Amino acid sequence: MFQVNRAYPYIFYLSLAIYLFSVFWGLFLTPEDFVQGNSYRIIYLHVPASFISQSLYLAMAIASAVYLIWKVKLSVYLVRSIAPIGAMTTFIALISGSIWGIPTWGTWWVWDARIVSTLILFIMYLGLISLHDSFNNNEKADKFLSILVLVGSVNIPIIKMSVEWWSTLHQPASVTISEKPAIDLVMLYPLFGSIIGFTGLVTCLVILSSKLQILKREKNKSWVNDYV
Amino acid sequence: MDIIKFEFLKLLKKSRGWLGPILVFTLIMIAYPLTVELTDIELGQSFFSILWIAALLVMMLATEDIFLEDFNDGSLEQYAISQNNLSFVVGSKIFIYWLVIGLPISALGSIFCVGIINQPNFGFQIFPVLLISTYIFMNVFSFGNALSLTKGSILGTLVTLPLLLPLLIILGKVVIAINFDLNYSGFLFLLLGILSIIIVIIPMITSYIIRAHLE
Repeated sequence: MFQVNRAYPYIFYLSLAIYLFSVFWGLFLTPEDFVQGNSYRIIYLHVPASFISQSLYLAMAIASAVYLIWKVKLSVYLVRSIAPIGAMTTFIALISGSIWGIPTWGTWWVWDARIVSTLILFIMYLGLISLHDSFNNNEKADKFLSILVLVGSVNIPIIKMSVEWWSTLHQPASVTISEKPAIDLVMLYPLFGSIIGFTGLVTCLVILSSKLQILKREKNKSWVNDYV
Repeated sequence: MDIIKFEFLKLLKKSRGWLGPILVFTLIMIAYPLTVELTDIELGQSFFSILWIAALLVMMLATEDIFLEDFNDGSLEQYAISQNNLSFVVGSKIFIYWLVIGLPISALGSIFCVGIINQPNFGFQIFPVLLISTYIFMNVFSFGNALSLTKGSILGTLVTLPLLLPLLIILGKVVIAINFDLNYSGFLFLLLGILSIIIVIIPMITSYIIRAHLE
């Protein structure tokens, strides 16, 4: 925890600077899109948020597996502290997508595979939080939380592939690892910057939230008294 | 084999447990035409949506106390410490519940399908889909109820219902295929595939959860 405390301000200010710079670049220095006009610029919030919302679930699934296999308590603290942040980023992704939908699709909401599966992810995050909080016995709650996270991870590939498996209004990914990006490089660089910056900022939130979780759960230990 | 027979008799004796869900399903299917302007076309349009949601809710209702009574009277603990394989016990419990509740509901759903849409072949086509989907619903809700064993079934449903929503999308596709008279066996095999994975994994996970509850 002490090492993390030392590194924390560097991560925070660096990510904040990268994010603000990329958003400024994306909003003011890149040209208008040929088809979507200025409305496409919401990708500098929407894409990082949706990317992070799914990545956080994946992180939770890995941490849950670590907890169930090796019984590392810290990993389940991490799962519990990521859940509300995951819910928040999913909410940002849904709302920003909705705002973008009005000028582009002409509607706030469509019952479309990608959007509905993201909404399901949001509900799942809330379900995880409520499941964990409903038990007084922390050990039991931890075990059930990690099982549910692992079982729920089947939804992640469904969300990822929904744009390809079903005919949907949502466009497929413009940037993939294996293929040449479908987005112009002028718009791509600030997008990458915003993803990196946003990831850094969310990492800072996860650090703060897990610190709180550790202190809450270990409050009876003597080191906590020394620390606080 | 003894366990299956024993669970079967136990469920049959508890008529509220199996008759209740079947009656609720029947009532939903009877009540919904009353809310629609009575023309065949309008009834047919919403029939399948009502059918899937009714099946989903009734399965949720049916699994409400699948483990609770056994947990309270200590039989689950007996199973856990005896020679019996707990995941086999859980699997057979789910199977019996499906046999006594899921099977009649699938048959009733097909009959209502014929009665409301007036096309007998729709009823035959939807029957295997209903059979498989009710079994999947039952498995997933049993998992949810095991999670929230002592906390009421609302919580269990809340956390497992999102897992079933992708399945509803597939069921919607099946209905489109049937409506347009397309070959829907691909979807049927997909559902069978999902079922074959779930039927193995869910009893294992559920027995692990029950053991955690008993600790």
